Amino acid sequence: MKYAALLTNDADAVAAWEQMTPGEAQAARAVEVPKWEALYGELGPSGMLGFSVELDSPTTAKTVRVRDGETTVTDGPFAETKEQIGGVMVLECEDLDTAIGIAVKIPVALTASVELRPIVGS
Amino acid sequence: MQYLAMIYGDTTQWESLSAEEREEVYATYNAFSEGAQKAGVLVDGAELDSTSTATTVRVRDNETLVTDGPYAELKEALGGYFVLECDSIDAACEWAAKIPGATQGAIEVRPIHVDPSANGGGAS
Repeated sequence: MKYAALLTNDADAVAAWEQMTPGEAQAARAVEVPKWEALYGELGPSGMLGFSVELDSPTTAKTVRVRDGETTVTDGPFAETKEQIGGVMVLECEDLDTAIGIAVKIPVALTASVELRPIVGS
Repeated sequence: MQYLAMIYGDTTQWESLSAEEREEVYATYNAFSEGAQKAGVLVDGAELDSTSTATTVRVRDNETLVTDGPYAELKEALGGYFVLECDSIDAACEWAAKIPGATQGAIEVRPIHVDPSANGGGAS
């Protein structure tokens, strides 16, 4: 069974991140990177990790709608929620409990959330 | 450059469709996928099960909190995504407009930063 893990970030934290000077951002990344490396180091050999991406900030998003054949493109994410999707990881797991066991190790689980959704037909 | 096209739609509307109506919707999605694949734009894609199957995991003060349901209750929820390889976000938006869900819900297009395994990302 495949689960899509939707990794969210706290919107305030994202805003704070964008206010950082390059030096501050580099220092913050130096703290974050080892956490992700540890996760990937553990997940990689397990064969449970599929497609995985980090998204650019919600401020770079565009939202597309088509009504009566007319396309409208607006700047910004679809919804201004407190937590915003910042990445997607596909997890190949036997069951939901195994997926939850991985989700708790994803760094954003400590600061925002990880939503697990079964992928249809997987 | 890769872009994630996230498909938001009214899930209750999807659940109200008959099997035949769902087949029709799937046919329009297959037509989109084939077109995008031929153009060399389609990288990946997935349909997510309904939000009623969602489980959200948070860890606070070493306590794991597992709740049923999505991270945010929206009238229109994320139902699936495509990964598109395009030269610019404008080109990605043009492809997004061809996704069948664009006529009812909305497609959010976001640049894919980098492979998190390569830089330890997810923090931005």
